[in-house]
This record gives sequence, C-alpha cells and structure tokens, in this order.
Amino acid sequence: MAFEIEIMVKVAAYIGGGLAMGLGAIGAAIGEGYTAAQANAAVSRSPKISADIFKNMLVGQAVAESASIFALVIAILLLFLDVPVPTLLKATALLGAGICMGLGAIGSGVGSGYPGGQACTGIARQPAVTSQLTTNMLIGSAVCQTPAIFAMVVSLMLMFINFGNVPLYPTWAAYLGAGLSMGLAAIGSGYGGGLAAGASCEGIARQPKTATNVTTIMLVGQAVSQTPAIFGLLVSFILMFKSYPESTTLSASMALLSAGICMGFGGIGPGIGNGMAAEGAVRWVARNVENAGDMMRIMLVGQAVSQSTAIYAMVVSLVLIFVV
Amino acid sequence: MIIPFFGHNITINLEVIVMTWIVFVIIIVLGALSSRKRSLLPRPLQALGELIVSLLYGLTEDALGEDYAEKYAPLVCALFMFLLVSNWLGIIPHLEEPTKDLNTTLGLGLMGFVIAHYAGIKSKGFKAYAKEYFQPIFFMMPLNLIGELAKIVSISFRLFGNIMGGSIIILVVSYLTYNLVLPPFLYAFFGLFVGTIQAFVFTMLTVVYISVQVK
Repeated sequence: MAFEIEIMVKVAAYIGGGLAMGLGAIGAAIGEGYTAAQANAAVSRSPKISADIFKNMLVGQAVAESASIFALVIAILLLFLDVPVPTLLKATALLGAGICMGLGAIGSGVGSGYPGGQACTGIARQPAVTSQLTTNMLIGSAVCQTPAIFAMVVSLMLMFINFGNVPLYPTWAAYLGAGLSMGLAAIGSGYGGGLAAGASCEGIARQPKTATNVTTIMLVGQAVSQTPAIFGLLVSFILMFKSYPESTTLSASMALLSAGICMGFGGIGPGIGNGMAAEGAVRWVARNVENAGDMMRIMLVGQAVSQSTAIYAMVVSLVLIFVV
Repeated sequence: MIIPFFGHNITINLEVIVMTWIVFVIIIVLGALSSRKRSLLPRPLQALGELIVSLLYGLTEDALGEDYAEKYAPLVCALFMFLLVSNWLGIIPHLEEPTKDLNTTLGLGLMGFVIAHYAGIKSKGFKAYAKEYFQPIFFMMPLNLIGELAKIVSISFRLFGNIMGGSIIILVVSYLTYNLVLPPFLYAFFGLFVGTIQAFVFTMLTVVYISVQVK
C-alpha cells in the first residue's frame, strides 16, 4: 500500500507540473505577441527611432514573461520535488499547487503585454518622452504581476507547508479548492490591471504633462482591480489553514471544493470589469486632467459596484466553508 | 512570546515588534537629520525631506481639497514613510520587513478604515453617514456593510501578499541557484521597486477611502 501511495504522489506531482507550465505558457505568449504587433505598427509609423522601439519592446516582453517564469519555477520544483512523507493528502496538495500556478499566470501574462504594446505606440507618437513611457510601462506591468505572485505564494505553501496530521476526508478537497480559488481569481485581476496600465501609457504619450496624475490613477485603479484576486487569496488561506472534522460523506468534501471554485470563477468577471473602469478613467484623465478628482471618485464608486459580484461569491464561499 | 490573559493565550511576535521599532528609529533619525539646521539653501537631506513632504502634500490636496489636506497630510506622510522604510528593510541582511506579517498590515488597514469613517461621520453628520448604507434600497444594507469591511481585507492583504510573495520568491530562487547570481536583482525588484509601489498604493488608497467618505 505504501508503495502505491508513493506512486500516487509522483503522479500528482507530474500532472501538476505539466498543468503549471502548460497553462502558464498561454498568457505571457499572448501578451508578448501583442507587444510585438504594436511595436511593428510603431516602427512603420516612425522608422527613424526603430532602435528605441525595439529596445522598449524587448524590455516590455521581458517583464510580461515573468508570469511564465514563475510557472516554470513551480513546474520544475514539482518535477524534482522530493516528498519526505508521501501521503494521499500531499498528492492532492501538489496537484492543487500546479493548477493554481498554471491558471494564475494566464491573466497577468496577457495583461502585462498591453502596457508594452501601448508604450511602443506611444514612443512612435512622442519620441521625446521615451524614458518616461518606459518607466510607466515597467511600473504598470510590475503591478500586473501581483496576481501571479499571489498564485505562486499559494502554490509554494501547498507544496512546502507541512499541515500536520489532518484527516484525508474532506481536507483533500480543501487543498484542491484553495488552488482553484487563487488560480481562477487571478485571471481577471491580472488582465484588468493590464488594461489600466495600457491606457496609462497611451495617455502619457498623448499628454506628457499629465504623467503624474495618470500614473497615480493607474496605480489606484490597478490596486482596486486586484481586489478579486485578494479575495481569492483570502479564501485559499482559509481553506488551507482551517482544520476540518473528519467526515467521509461526499457532501463535506464537495462543499470545500465548490467554495474554491465559486470564489475562483466569481473573481474573473469583477477583475476584468474593474480593469475596464480603470482603463476608461485613466484614458480620460489624460485628456481632461482638470477633472481628475471627479473621475477618480466615479471610477472608485463604479468599481465598488462591479466588485459587488465578487463579494457575493466570497460570501457564498465562506458560507460553504463555515456553515455547510 | 505567549502571555496568558484571562484564560486566553496572547501570542506576541517579538521579532516583528523589534523590526517595527527599527523602522521607527530610522524614520525619526531621518526626520531629525533633514530638519536640523534648516536654511533657505537646503542641504541634500533637507531637500530630500522637502521633496517627499511636498509631493505627498500635493497628492493629498488633489484628492481631499485644501481644508482636509492640512489636517490629513501629516498622517499621509507618516504612513508612506513608515511603509516605505518597512518594505525596504528586508534588503539588509538579518532584518525582515514588518509588513511581511499580516498583523502589521491589518492594523494599518484598520487604522485607515477607522479614520475614514470618523472623517465621514464628522463631515456629514451621523444621519447622512448611516443613510448611505441603505442605498440604493434598504435591504442592500448587509451587502454594503460587507463591502466596506472587504476594503480592510483587500488593502491589508494586498500589501502583505506582495511583500510576503517577494520574500518567498527570493528564498526559493536563492535556494535553487545556490545564492549565486540572481538574488541582488530580485532584491532590487521586489524590495526596492515593488516595495515603493505598494507603499504608495497603500497610502493612496487610504487617502482615497477618506475622500470617498468626506465627499
């Protein structure tokens, strides 16, 4: 029997590693492709500064790549991990870790391609503010990585923390749910943050004088877009660290699993929606900086309303964890 | 450290408290040095201090208006400096960021929440303040309440997750590469760059929460 469990842990680690890198490769590639496409358009518009645009494209792509690099690190760790005490519980934790990182890298990868692309277009339009655009692009895409970083934290916790002697049923579902909650919730927030960062690069190129206001409102907008990912992080922490009474009924396990799925899917839409709100606010602040205060307030209220669905999802998840 | 307290055990993280005190000392020394021997022609430290204060004052004024800015700008400057030094502390060997502990960030988030709501009640009066919870319809009250409380969770987990995530990634990569090449770059990225951005985001969000309440 012990032998079989060892094999199960290996199987879970390999599947998890494959999923982590396979899913994790989706987002960054799309984002980088978008950056390259915009760079081509920019070069055709002003071929004289093609060297600057090329450099900016490479820097932007390098940052967009980091989500996939996180996934690569997790995949390699999963493939070569040496589990000291193989148990079935560890197997589900490893599987959850792989799924979490794989899904979590998608949104940030796609999202952080946008600022890169818009910065290339912007350089072609306003070569004088090249360095300002590159700085803003770096800040914007670094903040886009936050959901992927959260996903990596949850994966590493699932892999390395020794949760002690806990009953297999229903804890296995909690670990899988924790991975799904964080991984899925990171998709929307990563993508939404990218929309805001892209609009800010476009805005700075159009109105370099407004750069301070635009960068500030971009950061606030991105931070609020990340709230669904933070709810996902919270639900996965609760799922991982709460201790459950042993129960062999299927319903107890499924309640925990669906708590994770509920928060995960529930976080996708609000993340993207909040990103759109931030994108609009950033774009129009660049064109009409006198009314920046009003626009920031309307953006925040709008985001709070569009976030309410994520809060419903969180309430249902918490009910599933604590009440059912 | 565990202290028994009326039948409950209170755990105190001594390390975090010591690190917080180190941050206090650094900020006080910086403040004292930059405001010592003030002159019309500022020396480098005075210039730096004036730059930070005037930048943050301008940001507060943009969000809150002149009247409130005078009242809240000192708080905003103190909050930003505390977070900045806290997030940067991890790049010094043997020291750890106090913001890596959820208790620190949750405490700061609660502080911002209480200040924002106090400002809201004071400027609008309790009746108008309470009425906002019953918008648009009265039965939305519980959800509005949860929405307000979720702000504390989101603001504190954002800072905690970023700083914690950065330090975990540095640990793992250092372990994988046998501390050879990458860690200094990672410290520069996660410690200095992400730390600055997150300190700024936390401060800005606190200001914005106050401004939503008072207007």
